[in-house]
Amino acid sequence: MKTIKFLGLTVLLSMMSTGVILAQKTGLQVMQTVYNLPSGEDTQAELSMVLTNKQGEKRVRQLKQYISETGGVEKKIMYFVSPADVKGTSFMNWSYSTGKEDDQWIYLPALKRTKRISSGSKGDYFMGSDFTYDDLGDRHPDQDTHKLVREETVAGKACYVVESKPKTSGHMYSKTITWVMKDNFIGLKREFYDPNGKLLKTLLVKNYQKISGIWVILETEMKNVQKNHSTTITLRNVKVNQGVPASKFTERSMTMGS
Amino acid sequence: MKRLLSYLLLGLVVSGMLSAQNNQLDISGYVRNYTGLLTSDMDQFSIVQNTLNLNLELRGEKTGLKVNPYLYQYFDQAPELGLREIYLDYYTDKLDVRIGKQQIIWGKAEGVFITDIISPKDLSEFLLRDFEEIRSGVTAVKLNYHTGIHTLEGVWVPVFTPTIMPASGSIWAPSLNFPIPPVWDYSTANKAFSVSNSEAFLRYSLMASAFDLELVGGSFLYDDPAMHLTRQVDPVTKQLKGLTVRPDYHRVNMAGGSFSLPLGDLVVRGEGAYYDGRYFQTTAPTSPDATLEKNYLHYMAGVDYTLAGIKLSAQFIQERILDYETGIQNEVVETTMTFLAKKDFFREKLWLELFAYVGLNNEDALIRPKLSYSIADGMELQAGANIFTGIAGRFGQYDSNDMVFMKLKYSF
Repeated sequence: MKTIKFLGLTVLLSMMSTGVILAQKTGLQVMQTVYNLPSGEDTQAELSMVLTNKQGEKRVRQLKQYISETGGVEKKIMYFVSPADVKGTSFMNWSYSTGKEDDQWIYLPALKRTKRISSGSKGDYFMGSDFTYDDLGDRHPDQDTHKLVREETVAGKACYVVESKPKTSGHMYSKTITWVMKDNFIGLKREFYDPNGKLLKTLLVKNYQKISGIWVILETEMKNVQKNHSTTITLRNVKVNQGVPASKFTERSMTMGS
Repeated sequence: MKRLLSYLLLGLVVSGMLSAQNNQLDISGYVRNYTGLLTSDMDQFSIVQNTLNLNLELRGEKTGLKVNPYLYQYFDQAPELGLREIYLDYYTDKLDVRIGKQQIIWGKAEGVFITDIISPKDLSEFLLRDFEEIRSGVTAVKLNYHTGIHTLEGVWVPVFTPTIMPASGSIWAPSLNFPIPPVWDYSTANKAFSVSNSEAFLRYSLMASAFDLELVGGSFLYDDPAMHLTRQVDPVTKQLKGLTVRPDYHRVNMAGGSFSLPLGDLVVRGEGAYYDGRYFQTTAPTSPDATLEKNYLHYMAGVDYTLAGIKLSAQFIQERILDYETGIQNEVVETTMTFLAKKDFFREKLWLELFAYVGLNNEDALIRPKLSYSIADGMELQAGANIFTGIAGRFGQYDSNDMVFMKLKYSF
């Protein structure tokens, strides 16, 4: 499952209309269906990230985000709005459906320079949140083995429960378990297990809504149960298929800010 | 003429403010206290500096305005108030025009200036100031033409701005080895505001999936002065009885480029420039004014890598004087390396950083460990040290200036 879509940006409500319905899916089929959900050609939104530590202290990060997907390339640019010491920073990521390594750049206003950065550090936490860069990116279903472990109802929603394990060693998670709603193939919940097999983090979708005919997840929470630290991401002013120009994903755009 | 340009700039800024008055003024900046102690004299502060840095920005659909005033207040010297940047922007679909005092940064090297030659350096505290403070703004007209992933940038700098050197008496003043106290002649140091003294630069840049590329060129007055000497020798004793030093800034032409290339988990960077007509100091008797004009190469190869969450970076830099002659005070090849290791802890609340310049010719170094702690959003406390090793060379000459410091910075 694409966590970025899980975060919400755009997921199609029903696969009924696309004819993708099976009496009994396998785990791989469920995850491929989620991965291949059309998500709109472009989205834009204001993001608010609230980081809460075990003492209950909160830190707030605000961003503007634009995403466009064409020709198998998903381009994303994020403008950091607050706190003040990161204001003006922008981050751009190009990810490829072919599995090619992502391209990433960061613009630091103090340096007045756009710098290409390595996409190898996907285990790093994004802006101190509970989301790693890997959590925010695309993970192709072929990178994992999937098993449909059961079907159950969560919060009144009938779900497939799929266990996914990485095919290669060295991944940050030993496995994930995902609850995918049967009616719309939106991921409702996901558990992340550390390399020792212990539950590390839980992702929960808390609010989603249909915008311009597309289901959009508006609020989601990632909780690190080992550190008792959580991050809630809320989207505002979401626009889908409004036309984000290709020029948005350039060095010029990074340096000029939002 | 400079006054006319100032009035023109002021007029443009005011008209820009008026045209953008319907847009909200964005105010940001920081206040900072910076306190340092030399380890050789822990009883006295080497610096106590309070800084106010303001960024005032107005952005319209097609126009923009930025004013960046700053104030440094010291315990032992007069306050310094200035404008780091003040410029107007005009945007079209493909063309951006920026007029005014601005910082222009080029190249891929970090902490080293190879093709990054438009904004002169402020070396009043050697290389220790933060990156945004180490570059002075230049009054310039900058045009950027964008098409897809390609950008063509042209810069015209009508007013020459030299490197700001440390004040005499400063602990950062470089050692000048004259045999007798000289008389200074600044008659050629102040460059007239004229077309012939103006500077022009051109850059093509590309940002693509496979690599980033910059190709640059420029014709400009080199920001560091050449020191032309005139000796008065006693005809009887043949002893030196007088010495006049005349600093001058000479035109050089430069061509070069830089790139960043992702290779798996690595990012490989390179940068190089060829300078035509740089001046070097010499002791050769065939050069009576103690300078020689030579062509010069400056290049860098670097790599960035992240290992177990530690951001690592290394750069190998060489400066090479072509057609070298004995007596030139610089070595024919000067090699420097830089190293950076940086890691965050507690979800970006604590940063540990180690940056070092290492001079291989003189076995000298500047080592800069630093700890930064985010007390609250926007409020940061830094503690660090600047450790100079060696006895000679670019860094070794400051061996007695080892320093510990603390900075408290509030961004708003």
